[in-house]
Amino acid sequence: MKSIDLLGKVIEISHSNLEITSRIKSIVNIIAKELECEEVTLYTLDRDKRLTCRFKNNKSILFGILNQYRCHIGEGVIGSVAQRRAPQFYSKHDIPPRFGCLFYPELDGILERYKTFAFLPVSDDSYIYGVLVLGSSTIETLHEDEKIILSILSREIGGIFRSYDLILSSTKRISELVTLTELGKILSSNVEPYDLLKNIALIVARAMNAAFVSIRIEKSVLALETERFTYGTMDPAVERYIAPLEEKCVHLKKSISLEDYAEKVVEDKFSGFFMYVSPIISKNRILGTLLMGGEKSQPGMANEEDAAYLIDTIARYLSTGLETTLLNIRLRDVLRELGDAQKRLVEQEKFRSLGEMTASIAHEIKNPLAIIGGFTKRLANKANKDGVEWRYIDIIVKEVSRLETILNELLNYVKDVPIANDMCMINECIDEVIYLFAPDAAWENIHFVREYDTTLPPTRCDVQQIKQVFINILMNSFEAMAGKGTITIKTGQTYYREKPYVTISITDTGGGIEPAIIDNIFNPFFTTKERGTGLGLAISNKIVMNHGGHIEVNNNVGKGVTFVVYLPIKNNIM
Amino acid sequence: MKDIRLLVVDDEENIRILFKEELEDEGYIVDVAASGEEAIEKIKENHFDLIILDIKMPGMDGITVLNKIKNMNKEQPVILCSAYGEFRQDFSSWVSDAYVVKSADLHELKETIKNLLHL
Repeated sequence: MKSIDLLGKVIEISHSNLEITSRIKSIVNIIAKELECEEVTLYTLDRDKRLTCRFKNNKSILFGILNQYRCHIGEGVIGSVAQRRAPQFYSKHDIPPRFGCLFYPELDGILERYKTFAFLPVSDDSYIYGVLVLGSSTIETLHEDEKIILSILSREIGGIFRSYDLILSSTKRISELVTLTELGKILSSNVEPYDLLKNIALIVARAMNAAFVSIRIEKSVLALETERFTYGTMDPAVERYIAPLEEKCVHLKKSISLEDYAEKVVEDKFSGFFMYVSPIISKNRILGTLLMGGEKSQPGMANEEDAAYLIDTIARYLSTGLETTLLNIRLRDVLRELGDAQKRLVEQEKFRSLGEMTASIAHEIKNPLAIIGGFTKRLANKANKDGVEWRYIDIIVKEVSRLETILNELLNYVKDVPIANDMCMINECIDEVIYLFAPDAAWENIHFVREYDTTLPPTRCDVQQIKQVFINILMNSFEAMAGKGTITIKTGQTYYREKPYVTISITDTGGGIEPAIIDNIFNPFFTTKERGTGLGLAISNKIVMNHGGHIEVNNNVGKGVTFVVYLPIKNNIM
Repeated sequence: MKDIRLLVVDDEENIRILFKEELEDEGYIVDVAASGEEAIEKIKENHFDLIILDIKMPGMDGITVLNKIKNMNKEQPVILCSAYGEFRQDFSSWVSDAYVVKSADLHELKETIKNLLHL
C-alpha cells in the first residue's frame, strides 16, 4: 500500500504544472521520505555525453561530493548504469569503493555508513536522461516490490525529461518557424533593398539573441553602395576576423566558425567569443554571407550548436528568397521608370496638342493684331504729337508690339525646332555668349568668374540652341541681381544614371528663388518680372530636354541660385 | 519716280486696306486681290512690279498662287507675307523672292520691297 501511495504522489507531481526542476526536487524528496533513504540524488546526461549530479533530496550529504566530478558514460557504477540502462542494487557488503570510480576520494570512509545503495537508469524507450541514486543507512536491503516501484519511478522521471525535451525542441522549432515566417514576410514585401537587408539582420539577431549579425552582399548582386548590413557591434578583439572569416567561407562555399578558421591560435585568446558564418548560395553562385557572433557567455543567446544550425537554415532560406526579391526590386524599379517614361510621353503628347492649339490661336490673333497696330500707327502719323491722343496712341502701339513679342516667343516655344548636329566645345561656346554681353553698359557691374574644366570633350549639340539656353539663364541671373553681382560659371564632367555628361553650372548672387515658387520656374508663362514673357527658362528647359539632358536648380535662399545644365556627351537622340 | 505697281493679295479685308494705304503713302500704285483666284486673273491682265502674297487663304493658298505666278513669269518678284513663320522652312516657299512675317510694324515689309525693286 505504501508503494502505491508513493507512486500516486510521484505521478501527481510529475503531471503538475510545476517547473521541471521543482518537480524533480519534489519527487526526489518524496522518494527519500517514503523509502526512508537519506540519500536520493539524480545525475543528468549533458550534451557532451557526461553525467552530472544535479538534483538531491534536502538531507543529502553525498551530493556535495558527487557534484564535484562529472563522469563519462561507462565510467564507474553510475556510468555503467547509464550505458547498460539496467539498474544496480548494492547491500552493505558489496558497495564498490568510491562507486567504482577513482575520482571520488572524498567518499572514502563515508560509504561505510550506508547499508544499501540503488542505481537506476532514468530513461524512456529510446533515450537515457540520467541515473537515479538512492542510499540508506537503515534499510538492510530493498524488497523486490520496492525495486519494481523504483524502476517505475525512474521511468516516470525519464518521462518528465522526455516531455521537457519535446517541449524545448518544439519551442525551438516554433521560434525557427516564426523567424522564417518573418523572413518570408520581409522577403516578399516591397521594401527597398537597403531596408530589406537591414531588417533581415535584425530578425536574425533577435531570433538568436545574438550580439552581432552581419549580412554581406556581393557587389555584383546588388547595385547598392553599401554591401554590408549589420546589426549590433562586435568586440574589437575579434572584429578583425570578420572579413577573413567571410572570405574563407566564400572560398570554401561552406559554413565555418571562428574556431575552424583560426584553430588553436585563437583558442585561448578568443575562447570567450564565437563567430559563425554561412554562405548565401544560389544556383552555385555566392550571393553573399551571413555571419553571427558574440560572447559565449551572453545570457539567453542560442548555444553554438543551435546557432550554427539556425544560421545555416536561414542562409539557405535567404539563398532562395533573396535573389528573387532583388530581381523583383530591380523589376519594380524598371517598371517605375517605364511608368515615368509613359507619363512623360503622355504629357508630351498633351503638350503637343496643347501646343498645336496654342499655335493656331496665336496665328489667329496675329492678323488682327497686325491690323490694329498698323492702323494705330497710321493714326499716330495723323495725330498731333503734343496732344494727349498721340500719347494714348503711342501706348497702344507699344502694347501691340509687346503682344507680338509674346506671340512670337510662344510660337517659338511650342514649335518643334529640329536640332542641328554640331560638335561643340562648351567652354568656347560660353565665352562667346559672355562676349555678347560684355560690351553692354548695363552689364558692367556684373563680374564673371570662369572655372572651366579644360579637359572637356567636344559635345554633340545644337550650338545656337545651347547658346540660347546660356543667354536665357544669364539674363535671368542678371535680372535677379538687378544688374550687379557675380556670376560664376563652372564646367565639368560627371556621371548621371551611369552615363557621361558635361555639366555647366551658372551661379548668381541674386538672393535665390523663393521656395514657394521654385517648382514653377520652368513652367511656361511663369514670371516674376514686370515685363517678362515667362518663356525664357521654359524654352531653355525644353531645348536641354530635347538634347537628352536636364537642368538642375540648386537654390540657396538669401544667397543665390545655381543652374546646372547637364548635357550628354554621347548623344543618341541626335 | 516712275509709277510702280504693286499687288497685295490677302483674304483679310483690313490687311488689304492697311497695306494699300501704307504703301500708297510710300508712293506706290497699289491694287488688291481678296483671293488667289482673283490675283491670278489680275496678273494675267495687268503688269505688276511686285506682288505681296499672303499664304493662308481660303480656296487657293499662297504657295499654289506663288507657283502659278512663277510658272507664268519666272522673273515676277513676289514677297510672301504671312503671320506664320514656319513656311519659311517649307521649300516650296523658297521660289519667292522674300519672306516677311506679318506684323503691325510694316518697316520690314517696306524695306524688303525697296530692296527687291532696287530703289
